[in-house]
Amino acid sequence: MQCEVKNKERVGVINPILTCQPCGAQYASIGIKECIGIVHGGQGCVMFVRLLFSQHFKESFELASSSLHEDGAVFGATHRVEEAVDVLLMRYPHVKVIPIISTCSTEVIGDDIDGVVLKLNSGLLKEKYAGREVHLIPIHSPSFKGSMVSGYDVAVKDIVSHFAKKDKPNGKINLFTGWVNPGDVTALKHLLTEIQVDATVLFEIESFDSPLMPDGNSVSYGNTTIEDLTETADALGTIALNRYEGGQAAKYLENEFDIPTIIGPTPIGIRNTDIFLQNVKKITGKPIPASLVRERGIALDALTDLTHMFFADKKVAIYGNADLVIGLAEFCLDLEMKPVLLLLGDDNTSYPNDPRIKALQENVSFEMEVIMNADLWELENRIKNEGLELDLILGHSKGRFISIDYNIPMVRVGFPTYDRAGLYRHPVVGYAGATWLGEEIANTLFTDMEYKKNKEWVLNVW
Amino acid sequence: MPYHKFKCSECIPEREKHAVVKGPGEDITSALPLGYLNTIPGSISERGCAYCGAKHVIGTPMKDVIHMSHGPVGCTYDTWQTKRYISDNDNFQLKYTYATDMKEKHIIFGAEKLLKQNIIEAFKAFPSIKRMTLYQTCASALIGDDINAIAAEVMEEMPEVDIFVCNSPGFGGPSQSGGHHKINIAWINQKVGNVEPKITSDYVINYVGEYNIQGDQEVMVDYFKKMGIQVLSTFTGNGSYDDLRSMHRAHLNVLECARSAEYICNELKVRYGTPRLDIDGFGFEPMSASLRKVGLFFGIEDRAQAIIDEETAKWKPELEWYKERLKGKKVCLWPGGSKLWHWAHVIHDEMGLEVVSVYTKFGHQGDMEKGISRCEEGTLAIDDPNELEGLEAMEMLKPDIIFTGKRPGEVAKKIRVPYLNAHAYHNGPWKGYEGWVRFARDIYNAIYSPIHQLSLVDISKEEIPTETKFLTQKMISDMNLSEEVTSSKDLREYTGKYDIISELRGKTYPDFPAQKKLSAV
Repeated sequence: MQCEVKNKERVGVINPILTCQPCGAQYASIGIKECIGIVHGGQGCVMFVRLLFSQHFKESFELASSSLHEDGAVFGATHRVEEAVDVLLMRYPHVKVIPIISTCSTEVIGDDIDGVVLKLNSGLLKEKYAGREVHLIPIHSPSFKGSMVSGYDVAVKDIVSHFAKKDKPNGKINLFTGWVNPGDVTALKHLLTEIQVDATVLFEIESFDSPLMPDGNSVSYGNTTIEDLTETADALGTIALNRYEGGQAAKYLENEFDIPTIIGPTPIGIRNTDIFLQNVKKITGKPIPASLVRERGIALDALTDLTHMFFADKKVAIYGNADLVIGLAEFCLDLEMKPVLLLLGDDNTSYPNDPRIKALQENVSFEMEVIMNADLWELENRIKNEGLELDLILGHSKGRFISIDYNIPMVRVGFPTYDRAGLYRHPVVGYAGATWLGEEIANTLFTDMEYKKNKEWVLNVW
Repeated sequence: MPYHKFKCSECIPEREKHAVVKGPGEDITSALPLGYLNTIPGSISERGCAYCGAKHVIGTPMKDVIHMSHGPVGCTYDTWQTKRYISDNDNFQLKYTYATDMKEKHIIFGAEKLLKQNIIEAFKAFPSIKRMTLYQTCASALIGDDINAIAAEVMEEMPEVDIFVCNSPGFGGPSQSGGHHKINIAWINQKVGNVEPKITSDYVINYVGEYNIQGDQEVMVDYFKKMGIQVLSTFTGNGSYDDLRSMHRAHLNVLECARSAEYICNELKVRYGTPRLDIDGFGFEPMSASLRKVGLFFGIEDRAQAIIDEETAKWKPELEWYKERLKGKKVCLWPGGSKLWHWAHVIHDEMGLEVVSVYTKFGHQGDMEKGISRCEEGTLAIDDPNELEGLEAMEMLKPDIIFTGKRPGEVAKKIRVPYLNAHAYHNGPWKGYEGWVRFARDIYNAIYSPIHQLSLVDISKEEIPTETKFLTQKMISDMNLSEEVTSSKDLREYTGKYDIISELRGKTYPDFPAQKKLSAV
């Protein structure tokens, strides 16, 4: 077998690929309209996550802290949550949804956030905010478990299970996008519009790319409403694009409300987008229209110009969220490239049983490594000390210095991508994403050929 | 000096004494906002945690060190690649960060063994690095891991390495300031006095509270070297671990950011009798006064004066060009701590800017005392501001520009106020004479940005002028200036390069032979 799947051997992390669970829960929180999450823990757990979001999107998002200080750490700090909820509700009259997101500190001291929510529901909310719709949703996301990916997954599940309520069929599908960018949501909605399918998109984050308006608008937020979330129980079916980011929520709806559910694949590349459309067709019975045949043709036309001429046999390393990494690897294979190293940034024990990874193990005929619980040193060390030669890196901005220091062209993809302008606006999913990714990869390789004077004259007659 | 009541904070009376407006003829004895108190939960404050104050602000700028956090991965990830403290060793400290990756089983059974494995692995991965700083996090503090004991054990087994431990969990204190204090004291307790330096000059200083943001430290050290002063260590920007162990041998501690680093200066005074001299590298006058003070201390005023004369002659005409164009522009000066008093009076005096508001995220009352006393009448001073108060203040004051952090800067952008990054700078360095001109240039470019001005236009409501196809900053800034100013031969725009730091590295300096016997003082 050529494809080896294994865990990182070191116990520690040198240059992490992913951050911790509360970040994922916060990413879910900002996707909801009239919602401000409270992170129960030290202030850094919020402040730096808000900074990270603002680095990536060049926008500011609202998230609050319970501001755990020493006394709270010693004597318990649930009263800080109570105060935080009250202060937030008083000062933000539009707020209806407050996820209460735990962290390592408040999980270690054993603060009972579920109990606080019960207490607030029967006390403060009844007494002081009678008549106001307020949803407090406890989300357990200790940093010492999983990663930002599982934190997102847990939060989406907790949020959906809080709201989902059976009424009458709404004829829509639920679309769990996973951890994506505004550009991805636009591309996905476009595909669904073409196929004439109405969907509840979780989450509606196109508005994260918010305009600079003459009347001023100070913060960005998502547009998923309470109604959207409630209606998820009435859908005709659910498609969760990512197994590890939204998959749990999809399964919850399937088990609780018998909603037909398809999980995956991440629609990166032509083939996975085809399968996505096939899945939509299966659930809704709607045919795939000619307009998408044409769109697909445009993407194929663009990629065919590139594959065997420029992409064939190029060695690629890919790191980031598992679903993204696997989707990109599958696309790279279709593009004739060799994804020789896949780095999955957390220790989810389901990875070895992921059918997509099993398929790689069964079919890949070149030397390929899939490292679980990986960090960026797994990549750098192989380049620096073990002779790994690469033609391309696909990953987010935290690995930028590997590309810079070892002169390896890199296409920024995933989260965060703060060292390139506007990437959140471009999709990696759908036919549009396939085209953008293929051409971005090509142009990055071309620039590299020119800087290194590596057969740069080839491009004269291309 | 009445307290200022924010409408948005009427429902939280605890906030009442956290904002004041400086009235006519008043000073800080009339009123002073409360400071450095516990944050109000849910207020969406701008504050960070004590871990970041220790590790991210003060620890990590040290350049030749493995900076490891003992805890889950998030603390280290989140504080990595979010600052611009560079170094002359290819930015090792910016590139690499280390977490022990504490998981659930470690929370239950302890993570000391994990920590030890981590330390050994990290030194093995970077065989040329022999120094390490270790930071406690909320998780490792709460489970009670004895980090000091593990560090001592490793140092005994690996005599070539040295490890510093900082116990400053995120929850320790109202803000990052708690962490500044803890790491100051931990460093002097554990490390100062451990190394005997080679003394090469009659005049030896530690440069303290300087973090080399975009090269500030290298600009300042260039001046010191020109004066023949040996900079034994910098605490901590571009600083070397072993140099900082020899801080006890300096003749003088030259202190820049008193908020984050006065603690170690005060301790050095108590324990080694080294005097503390507060300086200020921002602005021509403060810079000149600082060089004079240092010169005076060592009796080498002439060397200081030579630099002052040369630099002022070179850069003053450029600063004046911007001053003419920045006069009367309103500024919200909203940094983290010390810059409110480093900048308040100087941007007024030297650039003509009007400071309409100052705030501090993690400063203490002492910072506000200094800040308010250096402000003009009518200035709104806010302690521990929160999101809504910031917005309300901007709407009320209508500033032309804001100096603040990255994220609040995005808020300002949306209400069409240009911002400059007060922590990381836009195109720094901003210290030193040329740096100060660069700051003025950045302010000018932000205020007179043609694109930013377009954001004020509502094309659905206003008549769109069809004649103007483009504007330049100068077309906008010089519109109402007198001929005398616009055609002045004495004034000129900034002439420096994009990168002014690289050329300072490897520069040679005049030889000032030591007069005294060079040995331990």
